[in-house]
Amino acid sequence: MTNFIEILIRGLMLGSVYALVGMGLTLVWGVVGIVNIAHGEFVMLGAYFAFWAFSLLHLNPLLSVVLSIPVFFFAGVMIHRRITERLVKEHELSALILTFGMSILIWNLAQFFWTNTFRSVSYLTGSFPFIGMVFAKSKTVSFGLALVITAALFLFLRYSKWGKAIRATSQNSEVALVCGINTMKMRMLTFGMGIGLAGAAGAIISLQWVIFPQMGGSYISKAFAIVVLGGLGNIQGALAGGLIIGILEAMVTQYLSAKMAQIIPSVTILIILLLRPTGLFKK
Amino acid sequence: MKTLSLKKIPVSLGIAILMAFLISIPFFASDYWITLLVLIFIFTVYASGWNLFSGLTGYTNFGLAWFIGVSGYISSLLISDYGFFWLYAWPIGAILTSIASIGVGYILLRIKGVYFAISMVALTEGTRELFGTEYLAPITHGGQGVPFVAGIKLPTLYWAILLLAFLSLLICYKIISSKFGLRLLAIREDEQAAETLGIHTTRDKIIAFMISAFLVGLAGSIHFTYQNYIDPSFAFSIHLTLTPIVMTLFGGIGTVFGPFIGATLFTLIHEILWAELTLLYMAIFGGILMVLILFFPQGLLGWMKEKGVLPRIRKI
Repeated sequence: MTNFIEILIRGLMLGSVYALVGMGLTLVWGVVGIVNIAHGEFVMLGAYFAFWAFSLLHLNPLLSVVLSIPVFFFAGVMIHRRITERLVKEHELSALILTFGMSILIWNLAQFFWTNTFRSVSYLTGSFPFIGMVFAKSKTVSFGLALVITAALFLFLRYSKWGKAIRATSQNSEVALVCGINTMKMRMLTFGMGIGLAGAAGAIISLQWVIFPQMGGSYISKAFAIVVLGGLGNIQGALAGGLIIGILEAMVTQYLSAKMAQIIPSVTILIILLLRPTGLFKK
Repeated sequence: MKTLSLKKIPVSLGIAILMAFLISIPFFASDYWITLLVLIFIFTVYASGWNLFSGLTGYTNFGLAWFIGVSGYISSLLISDYGFFWLYAWPIGAILTSIASIGVGYILLRIKGVYFAISMVALTEGTRELFGTEYLAPITHGGQGVPFVAGIKLPTLYWAILLLAFLSLLICYKIISSKFGLRLLAIREDEQAAETLGIHTTRDKIIAFMISAFLVGLAGSIHFTYQNYIDPSFAFSIHLTLTPIVMTLFGGIGTVFGPFIGATLFTLIHEILWAELTLLYMAIFGGILMVLILFFPQGLLGWMKEKGVLPRIRKI
């Protein structure tokens, strides 16, 4: 029984990080209307950001997590201004194919410059016992960080002026425009926030797992599963979806095999799209 | 019987001369050129198969590698483990794939737009992981792949893929200039309106999906017989989905000959770049894809039609 609870908690910790990736994707999808297939690649870049900051500048990885948010936010804003804003009014599949190209461009460039070597940030290694269970230090700290970022995002969207404007744009872009909201600016801001979340998630991921240029692929499939579970553009749903995927993965890894755990996102996407295409939760 | 008008004769004559030339190539060209042409024709079939479904209906199929991989696996395993003759193994693979695609299409084609694209990616990724697991290893040999020898000579393989490429272009031509093609285009422009006008959209989409699966699957079987090897990460790789899409977008999406032009050009570019820029090859393709979408969404043939170099008809 202790074992089961331990796995459950491990799944929750895993899921909190996945939820960060998924919330970024669903936010951009819901507000900007662009499905960013390159989202996983920004997770990878975030992980490398923390890695290089640690190994070259000896920066504390926890500080890189905090720093990665503004850095990736501005990168996202620039990308949106230069590239993706042009596609907002086009058919949604144009953006799909464009970000698909972007994703391949980014991981191949990363592979070219940083090689395929598996790397990791060796900070906070080891584990500690807690009422008869054992937890890795890095994962516990990551869990805390992920929760803080999630809470900050929720508070921002709910109470701040910009957060309200973003939600209005997501609900109905035209009416929001009529009400005097600069929807173009809100889209830019949201795209930046999505990329910022991806970068922060990547920096957190580098604390606990090995990183390599093609790691984005596995995170984007998880993020899609989360978005589909939670319902398009539904942030709370994405949080719940992330936790569900994390717990499922921990369970399957424990009781079946690690290889089978990799099938979870694909199977989840297919089952949910078939049975309940609007997601598990009411919007 | 239809009579050929005077205007049409030079075109058919030109095609006949080109075909005669292509058929005669193995008699005088070196193996290098035959290999290159085999690749061009394989990718012509992939690209025009993708175009046939996605270009006409507007449903982006990000799971082209699923057709290729499933059919390739079936035929490769039939050849290697059950001693089938390649001529029987190929069509069995393609037919089983198109039957499977009816099932997949019946389920997934109800899902619209982006969700369809994602679910096809999920299907491909899931199948790849599944084929590599220990549970299916007795059948698929797991992740280490299946090396096999089909005992087919290069010229025979070349003629087979040439015939298939010719047939798929012919099929695309026939479909695009038919009422069925018009119905598919109506689905692309406005699916709800098409449905209101009495088009059985689900049926038409599934038929197009099935034809696409058959052609692409057959080419996939030939592809892996040519490689003498198959493994999950190669058979279901993103590369096999991406390349035909880039080729189609470059040549002109929704046109008949665009995919062929794109396949020819990009296979040649690949041949030149591969030796020089092996490591950045995918990045270049990704970059080209972005530039095409941003600045050149019509593709080469679409652009030529717009400028009046080619007549503005669907049949080209």
